[in-house]
Amino acid sequence: MKKTLAILLTLALLLGLTGSVAVAEDDWITLRVECYDREITGLDVTDCWQLHYAQEHFGDPNKIKLEFVSYARWTEGTLLDQALNGSNAPDLCMTYDGGLVQQCIDQEGIWQLDDLLNTYGSNLKAFLGEELLSYGQSDHDGDGVKEQWYLPARRISRANVGNFIREDWLKALNMEKPTDIESFTNYLRAAKDAKLAGDNTMPFSFGIYAPDPLYNVRRFTDAFVDFTQVTKEDWFAYARNPEMLPGAKEGFRWLNTLYHEGLLPDTFALADNDKANDTALIMGYNGFFSQQPDQPWRTDKNYQIELEKNVEGGHWVTVNPFKNESLGGKTLHDMYAPAGLSIIIPLTANEQTAIAAMKYLDWMAIPENMFAMQNGIEGINYEGLNDDGIPYGVKSADDVPNENKMHAGDICFISNGLCYFDDAKNNAALALPFKGYEEDVKASYADSLTDAWTQISFTTTIEAETDYGSTVKSKQGEFLAAVVSCDPAEFDKVYDDGIQDILNSGAQQMIDEFRKAYNDGNYRGVFPGDL
Amino acid sequence: MTTGVIQKKTPKPNCFTRDWRLYLMLVLPIAFYLIFCYKPMIGIIVGFEKYNKFKGMWGSEWVGLENFRFTMGMSDFSTALINTLWLNFLGLVAGFPVPIILAIMLNEMRSIRVKKVSQTLLYLPHFLSWIIIGGMVLQIFAPTSGIINALLLRWGWIDKSIPFLTDGPHWQFTYTLVGVWQGMGWGTILYLSAITGINMELFEAAKIDGANKMQQIWHVTLPGIRSTIVVLLILSVGQMMNISFDRPQVLGNAQVRKFCDVLSTFVYRTGIENHKYERATAVGLFQSLVGLIMITGANIVAKKLGEDGIW
Repeated sequence: MKKTLAILLTLALLLGLTGSVAVAEDDWITLRVECYDREITGLDVTDCWQLHYAQEHFGDPNKIKLEFVSYARWTEGTLLDQALNGSNAPDLCMTYDGGLVQQCIDQEGIWQLDDLLNTYGSNLKAFLGEELLSYGQSDHDGDGVKEQWYLPARRISRANVGNFIREDWLKALNMEKPTDIESFTNYLRAAKDAKLAGDNTMPFSFGIYAPDPLYNVRRFTDAFVDFTQVTKEDWFAYARNPEMLPGAKEGFRWLNTLYHEGLLPDTFALADNDKANDTALIMGYNGFFSQQPDQPWRTDKNYQIELEKNVEGGHWVTVNPFKNESLGGKTLHDMYAPAGLSIIIPLTANEQTAIAAMKYLDWMAIPENMFAMQNGIEGINYEGLNDDGIPYGVKSADDVPNENKMHAGDICFISNGLCYFDDAKNNAALALPFKGYEEDVKASYADSLTDAWTQISFTTTIEAETDYGSTVKSKQGEFLAAVVSCDPAEFDKVYDDGIQDILNSGAQQMIDEFRKAYNDGNYRGVFPGDL
Repeated sequence: MTTGVIQKKTPKPNCFTRDWRLYLMLVLPIAFYLIFCYKPMIGIIVGFEKYNKFKGMWGSEWVGLENFRFTMGMSDFSTALINTLWLNFLGLVAGFPVPIILAIMLNEMRSIRVKKVSQTLLYLPHFLSWIIIGGMVLQIFAPTSGIINALLLRWGWIDKSIPFLTDGPHWQFTYTLVGVWQGMGWGTILYLSAITGINMELFEAAKIDGANKMQQIWHVTLPGIRSTIVVLLILSVGQMMNISFDRPQVLGNAQVRKFCDVLSTFVYRTGIENHKYERATAVGLFQSLVGLIMITGANIVAKKLGEDGIW
């Protein structure tokens, strides 16, 4: 008896290792759709309200069972790559990782979308439009005709830069809002001298964004670039190396000066700095910070409301002091391309599933469906609709019951941002969710779009960027830490050595390839000299 | 001599027929090693390919040593290699003796309760994730705001922050110190059990011969655990090329990048982030080969010195 039992148990264990065999159901299709998980407390993205809504209105009538597969937002590229490697990726995927998408095209692992789009995607095609769709087209087989490989999501707002200053500090210092770098620096110095937040006063909130260290810094250093010495070709050649543009050196010297005057934190390079920076902003220690144009009022990290709790009258307002003299005082702001994240259908999805995926995207592009998927239910997710039909009184995630919690952009991913199918309405809607701060938000977006240049992208694979891109970024982090914190007497040497180091680590190859791509006409984006 | 009946020689029972239950029990562990340790090793061929994730390792183009040439030719590779060896060397020199000393000290404790409590407290850091330790390190060692610098500045003992985390050599010191602190309690376990195995009579004999505490430790305890020390030392030397990802990643920062960039972070950056698994594999294989050479070398040296070695 014991013997038999032992054999049975062992066999059972061995069988368990081989895995179970799936049983096919009737004629229903299962469509696995990727979605991001931003770890919003109480929201289970794989069982969220939007999934049930889409299942009811799209899935059930079409005999398609929708399943959401969640990837953590901040590591999505790596996670999707792993899933693709394991032939286990969702049937409908999205990513911000352009390199990964390009690799998928080069390695021929995703559906070519032209036929699917033409047959099943008429609404989607209208929503995205020809210009936007062209971002996802490239000539892979070399026959001179571009094929559609991915679908770029439509960016509703392209504003990227938000610079904010403390209005209450300006009042306390009896100063006007700074309009150029000199008056801005004077404001920082005066705030430090007046110890507006006691011993904790740290006028300039500054940290290193490790994934792309100069991405948020070029908005300052571009103001120092001497555009009389920059050709359009150079601008595109140095697409990922703003630190090498003529004149940018003075921008870094300016940051070095701020550092040595104690105007920016000496912990700026430490890994955990983000959290410390958030706390400082909320506690009211800082007089300036630079992030996204709606950053102070976002529902997940509301610097403005939190600041008011800690500092009476604390008030963040937009500021626009980074004038470039060589461009006649233009205040440059980089701006997103019209294309947002990239949507792909891996070849692991069979034809029927690929059709279902395209039908789902097309369903999403119909205005009433998008409205529901992005805004939720009146009375639960928002208070009501204004005259334009735009929701007002949008609730923050904490005030919505778990079963109704949602993240608009991550599920309705053909649109990066809330879309009401009308540019004026879309713009008006940007400020509307932030009750009581509508004017502040509008002013911030207006500043952000002043003298805005579209970020650079290339329409061919830049091999050198795939090979060296991450190394160059990592070197740029080291460079930034070094030039900002070094002894001012050694600045020139540290800067020059740092540039050489970056060039040697692969930037030179990237610059050469970017230059070639520019000369071949394979580029997108705007040269500030053309503004 | 037996009686007239010729005894038929019974065939020696086949060990499989006799002990088949034991062998059956062995099936699972062997399956585990085959599936999780040996089968994945086939994947090293990816390191010799221009890997196409959709075609898999059998369908990708063979490029020979190209990936090795590329990764080792990168400007960061030598820095990462040297840092890996240097940080591991520092960790070995500073960290290896500590658990031995601690184990002997614990062993000499007379109160069982104090001994148990201190042992538990010493183990604790081993169970903390590096993310948590990273936060603690920042609280303690950060410039100006960290506890140490804040106190020293306030007392006027220093007028400039000590750059524990922002200057290369200082950072390596902090890295090593934190590593020793985190691992020392856990490291005592093997030594303590080895000490327990020493024959008590040896201690008594030493005592009768008039040996004091220090002499007992030197002449009885240490020789008693010598073979354990040697085995662990050989194993540590074999690990010289391996370095965890989380510890340098969490403790490191852009300001000390030249000192904290190691092979694991290098692999992550050039292999995983860029979606170039073939390069990650190439570096991994290189690490394993060097590790194998080192551990073999250490074992040979140990045997030459009259120790048992590990095989």
